[in-house]
Amino acid sequence: MHSENSGPRSDFSLLKETLDTYAKVPGSLITILQKAQDIYGYLPKDVMYHIAEAVGTTPAEVMGVATFYAQFRLTPIGKYLVMSCQGTACHVNASERVSAAITAYLGIANGETTEDGLFTLEHVACLGCCSLAPVIMINGEAYGNLTPDSAIAILKDIRKKEGVEV
Amino acid sequence: MIRVIIGEGSCGIAAGAAKVHEAIVAAMGQSEPFALGSTGCIGMCFLEPIVDVYEDKTLLRRLVRVSPADAEAIVDAARTGDMSKVDSITISDDDAEFLSKQTRIALRHCGLIDPTSLEDYRANDGYEGLAKVLSTMTPEQVIEEIKVSGLAGRGGAGFPTWFKWNAARQSTGEPKYLICNADEGDPGAFMDRAVIESDPHNLIEGMLIGAYAIGASEMIVYVRAEYPLAIVNLTRAIEQARAANLLGENILGSGFSCDMRIKAGAGAFVCGEETALIESLEGKRGMPRLKPPFPAQKGYMDAPSNINNVETFANVGWIMNNGGAAFSAMGTETSKGTKVFALTGKICKGGLVEIPMGKTLRDVIFGIGGGVRDGKSFKAVQMGGPSGGCIPESLLDTIIDYKALGATGAIMGSGGMVVMDETTCMVGMAKFFLDFTAQESCGKCVHCRIGTKRLQEILTRIVNGEGKEGDVELLEELCVGIKDGALCGLGQTAPNPVLTTIRYFRDEYDAHIRNKKCPAGECVALRTYSIDPDKCKGCTVCAKKCPANAITGEKKQPHQINADLCIRCDQCRKNCKFDAITVE
Amino acid sequence: MEQIKLTINGREVTGNKGQSILEIAIANGISIPNLCYNKNLKVYGACGLCVVEVEKVPKLLRACATVATDGMVVTTNTPRVMQARKIALELLMSDHEGDCKGPCHLNCPARTDIQGYVKQIALGNDTEAVKIIKDKISLPASIGRVCPHPCEEECRRQFVEQPLSIAYLKAFAADNDMASADPFKPVVAAANGKKVGIVGGGPAGLNAAYQLAVKGYAVTVMDMMPEMGGMLRYGIPEYRLPKAVLAAEIKQIEALGVTMCNNVKVGKDVTLEALRESYDAVLVAVGAWKSTGVGCEGDKLDGVLGGIDVLREVNLGARPNLGKNVAVVGGGNVAMDACRTAVRLGAENVYVIYRRTRAEAPAEDLEIEEAIEEGVDFKWLTNPAEIIGENGKVTKVKLQVMELGEPDASGRRSPVPVEGKFEILDVDTVISAIGQRCALEGFEALELTKKGTIVADEAVCTTNLPGVFAAGDATNRGPSIAVRAIGEANDAAAAIDAYLSGKALIKVEPYYSKRNKDDIDFSAYEKKARAEMSCKDPAYRKGNFDAVINGFTEEQARQEAARCLECGCHDYEECRLIDFANNQPINPSRLDGGKHSCFKEQKLVTIERDQGKCILCNMCVRTCREEAQKGILGLVHRGFQTVIKPEFMDPATIADCVNCHKCADVCPTGALKILK
Repeated sequence: MHSENSGPRSDFSLLKETLDTYAKVPGSLITILQKAQDIYGYLPKDVMYHIAEAVGTTPAEVMGVATFYAQFRLTPIGKYLVMSCQGTACHVNASERVSAAITAYLGIANGETTEDGLFTLEHVACLGCCSLAPVIMINGEAYGNLTPDSAIAILKDIRKKEGVEV
Repeated sequence: MIRVIIGEGSCGIAAGAAKVHEAIVAAMGQSEPFALGSTGCIGMCFLEPIVDVYEDKTLLRRLVRVSPADAEAIVDAARTGDMSKVDSITISDDDAEFLSKQTRIALRHCGLIDPTSLEDYRANDGYEGLAKVLSTMTPEQVIEEIKVSGLAGRGGAGFPTWFKWNAARQSTGEPKYLICNADEGDPGAFMDRAVIESDPHNLIEGMLIGAYAIGASEMIVYVRAEYPLAIVNLTRAIEQARAANLLGENILGSGFSCDMRIKAGAGAFVCGEETALIESLEGKRGMPRLKPPFPAQKGYMDAPSNINNVETFANVGWIMNNGGAAFSAMGTETSKGTKVFALTGKICKGGLVEIPMGKTLRDVIFGIGGGVRDGKSFKAVQMGGPSGGCIPESLLDTIIDYKALGATGAIMGSGGMVVMDETTCMVGMAKFFLDFTAQESCGKCVHCRIGTKRLQEILTRIVNGEGKEGDVELLEELCVGIKDGALCGLGQTAPNPVLTTIRYFRDEYDAHIRNKKCPAGECVALRTYSIDPDKCKGCTVCAKKCPANAITGEKKQPHQINADLCIRCDQCRKNCKFDAITVE
Repeated sequence: MEQIKLTINGREVTGNKGQSILEIAIANGISIPNLCYNKNLKVYGACGLCVVEVEKVPKLLRACATVATDGMVVTTNTPRVMQARKIALELLMSDHEGDCKGPCHLNCPARTDIQGYVKQIALGNDTEAVKIIKDKISLPASIGRVCPHPCEEECRRQFVEQPLSIAYLKAFAADNDMASADPFKPVVAAANGKKVGIVGGGPAGLNAAYQLAVKGYAVTVMDMMPEMGGMLRYGIPEYRLPKAVLAAEIKQIEALGVTMCNNVKVGKDVTLEALRESYDAVLVAVGAWKSTGVGCEGDKLDGVLGGIDVLREVNLGARPNLGKNVAVVGGGNVAMDACRTAVRLGAENVYVIYRRTRAEAPAEDLEIEEAIEEGVDFKWLTNPAEIIGENGKVTKVKLQVMELGEPDASGRRSPVPVEGKFEILDVDTVISAIGQRCALEGFEALELTKKGTIVADEAVCTTNLPGVFAAGDATNRGPSIAVRAIGEANDAAAAIDAYLSGKALIKVEPYYSKRNKDDIDFSAYEKKARAEMSCKDPAYRKGNFDAVINGFTEEQARQEAARCLECGCHDYEECRLIDFANNQPINPSRLDGGKHSCFKEQKLVTIERDQGKCILCNMCVRTCREEAQKGILGLVHRGFQTVIKPEFMDPATIADCVNCHKCADVCPTGALKILK
């Protein structure tokens, strides 16, 4: 698939400031990709090409880095990123049931986004809130001591807030 | 002056501290005779949200499991000074022992000072160690002091810190880099997050002393992206330090110059391995390099580099302030000072525990952590995360010491201590860790890339009741081969959870393989649900809830479960009001 | 350059300071397995095969990455090293989605390089094809006509539509080669002065003679019959294998310097003992020439004949009168040959009596079909209960009607009599074609099996007598198809060669990577029907012994050969991975699990990448970056999911690839294939 075929061209001007700051600083590829993801919500292919050119590396290198790290996403995400912690303490405290409940409630598996574009579910490595296991984090805010029911309640609240019928 | 301080580390917030904060603000009038502030994580996670009430520096009350509904009472107490108003939420003497039994060095400021305030840090001996170093010590003397302290790398391997510093000092080449590994990837450990969030200047101070010792002109902190609050607090602290001439050119007029920056990780456990971390810092895929050359010779950007983890640096300021001998006075022959543990799992009192080396596991788990919760019995403690192992009950009197823990097959690791009770399946535990390492393997070397995948597949087979005779021996053979052949620490230690669970819980493996039973009752595929006809009242709730239509029966007559249709979703058991569902 | 001294495997070697253990080992001719090292590239250290033990170092070290130091004591093959290497190889192979050899090859008892010669036929190089075939089968024109082709049973093309017509392609190439101005002649090694005597001039004996003659042995083939060829000459009817074709091929073997002695029977004309004295080695390949009787009442009556006896008589030129009604008992290929011969001898009603159904009959289905076309009446599910005669001469056969019972241990449904149900046929002749036995008079010194066959080692064909080897129908399991005898003759020739060269007699089945057919998407292939062999009209066939088949036309053969899916790896001979995998015993199947999906893609100008065979040594990526200075290739994803891809799978990539082939050149496996 070529960038020309993958929908409208991204607005590179949004990235100009980042590239002006980092493009010529050696070793800044990950930082640039992180900033690009903050801007676009994910890493569109044409943006990665653009970054490769600006940084002076090959697209293969950029693709290699973008696919190596769990944080980078090559597809757009929902408005709410639900990160479900897969840490040891969460495991011992039955986080699987919470994950399963979220999957059942939202109808999406790990890495998927709901059709209405509201939620993306991501299983992540330990969030470091082990004493509150099981934990999920939604757009940076952690929720601990969850049960399947309390996790669903949190998602329901968000849906309500967004005016989605529950 | 009375101060109300809310613990707002990540876990505090996750437990509702921000909502408590909001409620207290709402309950406060225009002007109040007390001040409201916040602090980081004190490490008593089981009591979060925690609110401390101080009079000047004296702690009047520590309020625990505070809810927004308590806000009025707290404000009232702070306003009037009548602490009896918050008696009901005051910490019990027993719980207070969680802290009083500890010896805190790395965590000495955590949960006590305001992490957003440089002044607060300085008011608590902050940057005194640095000042002493810069004004009175040569780099060699610093390294010597660290040598005297016996400080060893707290990230896992326990390598003597002075030796690494010395190697980097001796290495020729400019510039030199001092790197802090804050990619706390071990699922189950969070002391580094706590330190950065709650005491960021302590990290900066420790790093500056290290940078001075090795002659580094730049410091980089590689922080996990999953720790947003830590990044915010550290960024602020760096700006404060820079403004106070604690970073940058000619620090404190000493002629020593060094600056600091944060690099956010992008989510890869393998980047905890130092050469992979360097690759990642350079903006590449985090695949480990071959050693030698060691980072001290050729590290970041091919320049001499030294890498230590957060907890290691968190001890340095204290050591310089109090002397290496004071540090080495604690601990055992081979392991000096204190170590922080993240006590989690099926534990009564979970949180951060810092104790001198040489205490026993029992001291930590039962003495401080209060033992296993919900009246269950202790089965094992997992130490060292994916690189570590499970230690059984019989070895609970093992002392905390790099050597002694290593002898059990587990490791000190970064200090994750996950307690497991009788309901935790040890085969499932091994599978959990291999799921993790297989997912986190960088994919470079054959032994780790395919080996961890195969271990994971065999373990999955066993927990699904499809284990075969000989699987355990195959696992063992594969484990040894992977340990011998893998390129980096991740692969070389990935088999440890499998090997230790086989070593101490072989009977559980055999039960899964031979009898197709999970003794802990955790492996869903091996459960059988049935209905006790004596208890069943025929209320039909279970039949209605069953998504697989596996339950049949006449109203008011005992029901039955068709084992072939049962998908073991547990709905029937959860919904039965008569406790009539039995699970084997 | 400063020199250092170290010990590798007990040998003192020198190297330059700064060199790795691997570099010094290579320079001193010590081989250490490795898959990701290349002297032109930066050290990478991924494969883990080059691990070695160094004295006083507790961990295993990678030889590629460890700089040698003076006085170092290195061992490259300790049990611990071999174990780590074994695990590495098993892991690699457990994630290897590729066929070293095509399934056709692996199912060919003679292990012919089918893919290789079919390719040559597709390219129009028939002589080149014959050269490949004769490496294993020295009678390709004959075998191509008569072989029941186990290769075709396994041909993966059948999952697209139909298997390749491999056997007929072989005959086509051999016929063309034979008819050419310059037929293939193998290079014969200089005479080595050693003599091998071969008893039996059938496919096994002749093929062994060919293989040994090529190696420089003085070979004498002795046969009791007036002409060479064995069962090919005397068992297979002319209409299937014209004797002129066979004779021409035998002549080619004779032309290599093989002495052919007919009308010599061991035990009568010469003793085995004498042969052992006259020859440095003796191969016994006398076949199985005795028919098994029907085994019912009346089977000694006049008019009850043995199948191969009838066939031999006819092949000797006789045209016996079998009468008007002939019953042939049996469902194998000899039964088909017998019944169709009976038709050609003028019988009006020819029956085949077989106790199971057509589906179970061991005869080739095509043979059954052709027999039916020629008017043969198949009495499926019947068994001779009694042969009834008058005045000592057959007149009738009483058939017990059978039905299929429960499947037995082998999964085959065994026939059981339907009580009281019989059928009676009027017959003049009953031909028994239910099996053959060996006649081993003169070979009493050889140890025999309970079945009366010679006990011979399955791999190296040795018997209880030193220097005496045995192969073909006369050994172990007894009679089988010609190509199996030929395969055993290859083994015997190799064993005799080893024996006479003073080498150890071992034949180890190599380890091959094999794909599971269920993992292959056959829908991706365009359907092309199997070439149909044109045959003479059944009405014409009934009256004579002329060849039934007309042979492929040139166009047919080339197109048919081009249908080959080329399952076997193009890089097998050069593959370093399989080389190391055969260095030590490995058992990757115990680690079966998820594999990289095996997809092929052509994203570089002329290079096809097969992800199933990629071992992620990263050599292509590194070469593209470090040597070609392009950096087009890169690793994508991590862990087990890692794959190597050109940047974003983008057409622009193709434009940037300068087609230097450096990546394919360094690939240690068959993952990269240069397309012509």
